[in-house]
Amino acid sequence: MAQAFLSQDWYRVAPLKPRLRPHVEIHRQRFRGATWFVVQDSHSGRYHRLSPAANLMLSLMDGRRTVQSLWEAACARFDEDPPTQAEVIRLLAQLHGSDLIAGDMAPDIAEMGRRHHDQSRSALMARLRNPLALRLPLFDPDVFLDRTVFLVRPLFTLWGFLAWAALVITGVTLAVLHGSELLGGVIDRVLSAENLVLIALAFPLVKAIHEMGHAYATKVWGGEVHEIGTMFLVFVPVPYVDASASAAFPEKWRRAVVGGAGIMVELALAAIAMIVWINVEPGLVRAFTFNVMLIGGVSTLLFNGNPLLRFDGYFVLTDIVEIPNLGQRASGHFWYLVQRHLLGIRSAESPVTARGEAKWFLFYAVAAFCYRISISVTIALVVASKFFFIGVLLAVWALANVFLVPAWKGLKFLVTSGSLRGRRGRAFAVAGTALALVAAAVFALPVPHRTLAPGVVWLQDDQILRAATDGFVAEAPVTEAAVSAGTLLLRLEDPILSSERRLAEARLAEMRLKLAGVAGRDAVQARLLREQVLHLEGQLDLLRTRAEALRITAPRDGMAMIPGAEDLPGRMLRKGAVLGYLVPQGARRYRVAVPQQTAELVRASDRISLRLERAPGQEIPARLLAFAPEGTMQLPSGALSTNAGGPFATDPADPEGRRTVQRLFLFDIAPLDATGLPFVGERVRVRFDHGDEPVGPRMGRALRQLFLKRFHV
Amino acid sequence: MSDLGLIRPPARLTLPRLAAYAERPDSEDGRLERAGRRLLGLAMARSTGLRRHALRPILTETARHAPAMAALSDPELRAMARSLRPALRQALARGVPEAPAIGPAFALLQEAAHRTLGMRPYAVQLLGGFAMLRGTLAEMRTGEGKTLCATLPACTMALAGVPVHVITVNDYLALRDRDLMRPLYDFLGLSSGVVQAGQSEAERAQIYRADIVFAANKEIAFDYLRDRMLLRRTPGNLRRKLERLSAEGPQGVLRMRGLHFALIDEADSVLIDEARTPLVISGQVAGARSQDPAFLERALKAARALAEGTDYRIHANERRVEITQEGAERLEIMGQYATGAFRVGVIRDHAVVQALSALHLFRRDNDFVIRDGKVQIVDENTGRIQEDRSWSEGLHQMIELVEGVAPSDPRETLSRITYQRFFRRYQRLSGMTGTGLDAAWELYSVYGLGVVRIPPHRGDRRRFAPDRVFATEAAKWQAVAARVAALHGSGVPVLVGTRSVAASARIGAALEAAGLPHQVLNAVQDADEAAVIARAGQPGMVTVATNMAGRGTDIKLAPEVAHTGGLHVILSERHDSRRVDRQLEGRCGRQGDPGQVERFLSLEDELLASRGARWSRRAATLLWLLGPGAAALAFRARQKRVERMHARMRHDLLAADRGLGTLLAVSGEAE
Repeated sequence: MAQAFLSQDWYRVAPLKPRLRPHVEIHRQRFRGATWFVVQDSHSGRYHRLSPAANLMLSLMDGRRTVQSLWEAACARFDEDPPTQAEVIRLLAQLHGSDLIAGDMAPDIAEMGRRHHDQSRSALMARLRNPLALRLPLFDPDVFLDRTVFLVRPLFTLWGFLAWAALVITGVTLAVLHGSELLGGVIDRVLSAENLVLIALAFPLVKAIHEMGHAYATKVWGGEVHEIGTMFLVFVPVPYVDASASAAFPEKWRRAVVGGAGIMVELALAAIAMIVWINVEPGLVRAFTFNVMLIGGVSTLLFNGNPLLRFDGYFVLTDIVEIPNLGQRASGHFWYLVQRHLLGIRSAESPVTARGEAKWFLFYAVAAFCYRISISVTIALVVASKFFFIGVLLAVWALANVFLVPAWKGLKFLVTSGSLRGRRGRAFAVAGTALALVAAAVFALPVPHRTLAPGVVWLQDDQILRAATDGFVAEAPVTEAAVSAGTLLLRLEDPILSSERRLAEARLAEMRLKLAGVAGRDAVQARLLREQVLHLEGQLDLLRTRAEALRITAPRDGMAMIPGAEDLPGRMLRKGAVLGYLVPQGARRYRVAVPQQTAELVRASDRISLRLERAPGQEIPARLLAFAPEGTMQLPSGALSTNAGGPFATDPADPEGRRTVQRLFLFDIAPLDATGLPFVGERVRVRFDHGDEPVGPRMGRALRQLFLKRFHV
Repeated sequence: MSDLGLIRPPARLTLPRLAAYAERPDSEDGRLERAGRRLLGLAMARSTGLRRHALRPILTETARHAPAMAALSDPELRAMARSLRPALRQALARGVPEAPAIGPAFALLQEAAHRTLGMRPYAVQLLGGFAMLRGTLAEMRTGEGKTLCATLPACTMALAGVPVHVITVNDYLALRDRDLMRPLYDFLGLSSGVVQAGQSEAERAQIYRADIVFAANKEIAFDYLRDRMLLRRTPGNLRRKLERLSAEGPQGVLRMRGLHFALIDEADSVLIDEARTPLVISGQVAGARSQDPAFLERALKAARALAEGTDYRIHANERRVEITQEGAERLEIMGQYATGAFRVGVIRDHAVVQALSALHLFRRDNDFVIRDGKVQIVDENTGRIQEDRSWSEGLHQMIELVEGVAPSDPRETLSRITYQRFFRRYQRLSGMTGTGLDAAWELYSVYGLGVVRIPPHRGDRRRFAPDRVFATEAAKWQAVAARVAALHGSGVPVLVGTRSVAASARIGAALEAAGLPHQVLNAVQDADEAAVIARAGQPGMVTVATNMAGRGTDIKLAPEVAHTGGLHVILSERHDSRRVDRQLEGRCGRQGDPGQVERFLSLEDELLASRGARWSRRAATLLWLLGPGAAALAFRARQKRVERMHARMRHDLLAADRGLGTLLAVSGEAE
């Protein structure tokens, strides 16, 4: 629908004689091949982008021409596409709202007061709405920067850039060369207590230098920097500077450098730190440089340099692709597409002003939204896991910002928007369908639901072969074989035992003779000797049993395993030493530890499979044998602890290293067909399949458990 | 030690706040406040009957003082009026006045009215008067003596020194109401003035100096707008007061003294029905850019070349034409081969939209008439011709072109105000109406006016016949004519209410054909319609009138008519709003008179004829097959829909007005 060329309200502005205020500066810039004028308000530090027609009118505002004549001049000059009256009114309102023009009339004091009130209110609201990024201006660094800018001026030249590039390339090369050293145990090092202190020291320092980068970059090319302060990003103080003066730079690369100066500084710092790190002995300095690298490298690449978040990378991107205000206009364009194509609102206007912007907008809107959601949820969860109450509040706040506020706005738009008149039914249908699709995806579309848990091969006590007596191995015929009951597995020899036996036999013979000698003569002596005989017989029996125990036979049929059997002969074994294992055919048991929040699901699961860690490609179906009804804090095997590469963290105070920090439930499972032999103590990855379940109920359960855990309800 | 405690500090003397031009500043309602008002409005709309109990004390108070007043001689009564002034002034300065403070004044007015007019206000009139004095809207049935009732708050306010504006729906009623009650005002020493069309600026300034000013709503709003055009140059009351003191003095002559107290007769028509379009003062401008005839003709030609549905769509309900994407592309191509302004996209599209509107939205004899070679707008509410109004933005010229009339000079808006904004500027607002209940919610949420239902003096004796629905309009007119003939034969006076001038003409023709003597009242002949309507209660009279014709005039029944069932009102169509129907129905049965109401509808009625009513029309046709009575349901449903649509338009207007306030802050104060 055509925009009305004339406006009913024109009479209100037509006779005005506005005058541009003296503090306004106008800069000519080119964006995507079109000329625009950037109006700089040096009082408020804000910038407005104007089209050439608007600029013409603005430039003619001298307090003598009326708006009518300004408009006529603009229409005459741009007769192909003259500004409509409504556009002119909007322009005037915008300029007036930013105090860029003064009228010929005496100012309306009440209106000024109202405007000031509205502005401070909206500033306050903006702060309240984003408690994770509070700004606290501290002082005006302009004079300081003026006096010191000569120090850094050489850096902002081609040579400076080449030096910087060389430094960064050196750093990166070194980092790649020492990659394994750097990354080894990086998590442990980062999160250990003393390192946290170092990070806390290094972080503000690195960020302060980063901000000075922005400030000097602005300064070098003639901008002014009037605000420096501290921002609390998720309660962490981070310095910031107001480098918005760079928006007036006509060269886009200079604007981009100002935006990217921080990142460049951090990368340079990281490179220097890398060089130092290599050349110093382990110690405090080395640890410190490591942290500088971590902040300068990782945080820069993940956060600051990421254009999807509104940090430095974003501004560099908008400057390079010449799309100012990309984020806001991208979402504007997205809604335009929704209104236009889904809701059929023909009068919707796209914020696209140049070729190629539309694609950028669409891509950016979608990508940034997804990224913002994931980062919000992640931050909320991390905070919630540390400080529960604050965290939950923050999480609710963050999630409300991401989901509820847009939902409320959308609903309000649906119900009250005038542009939907006559199409409200369709709009509701579209919105309803979209919601229904999302709801269906969340609550009805089944997605595979699995629990992965680690387990170890579990042997019952009677499956472990132990030496029943001390002895030297004489013979070890079996290493790994199926045996039947009674098969000799190992023969021990005990030279002392055989001589003891001979001695005992001799003494028994002696006693029997003596007994025969006194029998019938001396009843007292005879009884004594009989006792001795009995005793010796008993001793001999014992020795005979021990001798028999030297022959270790299979107690029943099964697979016998005697690791290192060929090395055994000649070795001394103590009583009770584990020799090997005898596992009955088909009886294989894995003990699986499951955190308590998934225990309920696992218990009900009927499709289980496992993968051996040595052969992860092969999936073996399994079944549940038994489960312990109560939880435990004790790992069934050290193999499951983080020390051994398992997933469960253990209490460092426990000497055995088996006490866990979370409650576990133990399950025993067995493969359906057990062939081959298990490696005793081997870990398996067990997959419990809970059937396909939609995401919604699962999230509900997780939330319920979280609250159960926290409130012990 | 000391007796300081015994010495009372003198009562603090508060001087009235002086204002150079009294008006309430536009309230800066936040979103919550507006929502709160809307919710409160729901409660207010439900409790219209309850609130009159708060008014009861005025009856006892008045009765208490009445004997004393009756005992006074005329000069003593006048002296008493003067002596009451300070107390009244104080009572009103405190805000909403209470019964004890007002009782003496009402008793005095009752007595004075009795002596000067021969009429003594009834209890219900006292209640209504007091309700209005308290800033609410009194709902009183037709014929309850609203004119007399209005004198009570008007005189009380005037005695308290507050300039009073009594706002009526037209000039005639303003003059009549003033003249009827003038003896009372003169008796009390209150000056009164009537604003009429055609008075000069100096005359008006003189009239507005009167204590009580009678004026039609349009006149008063335009006068205010003209004042604002002067006042706008010096925003802020303080500045104005300073200017008054300064040597230069104010620039130009103001007409009014400000907006102090308004008492609106037929408040719902003024505040609701007329509030859909803003008031505009426009002036002639010399040859504007897009108005040269060749350009207009080119645009009209282009508009005729476009096809409905593919190139443009008509939104009849919103009176809006929308050009589709395809249409815009076709125009683009046309523009490339054109010269001059037609090449320029925005100007071309705008002109084509205007041309399409002229071709498809505005119909001759309905929206406008051609008189003396000029296109003249017909007011959609009153059905009267608005001689000096014209459409803006080239639409008027486009219609002139379509109708082949010599083009007039384009006019340009000089000042504009919505009724909502204007009436909210009154420091005190009150009103009376016969049909306020249906609009109670809107009256409260927009104007902050609570509605109080005042019970009728005598019970309602009207009888309502079921609706009759006909397939075609011709059948309906025949049936109406037959019915009128039958009633006329038995000497029953008949009033046929129509929706438009054209409908009046058609029923007139039908009656003519049937040989029935009748009077037709409509916009074309509005000189002595009050006299005609006053005679409508005579036996055998047949009167045809649009709903607005002769409003405010009571139809007094001749004595013999009362026995034949009173006035018979035939509604020949349903209007866009149930309230307007009720206004017509209220023409009979005044003060407990007997009366009959019948509705004759047809499936071709305008209510169902508009493009937006397609579904209602189909539903009505289906229902009509079931039984003519059933189709009446579809009419009521459609009417409700239109009511909602109009309410939404007013709401939009208000919202746009609010948005403009902030947008146009650059241009200083709003009108």
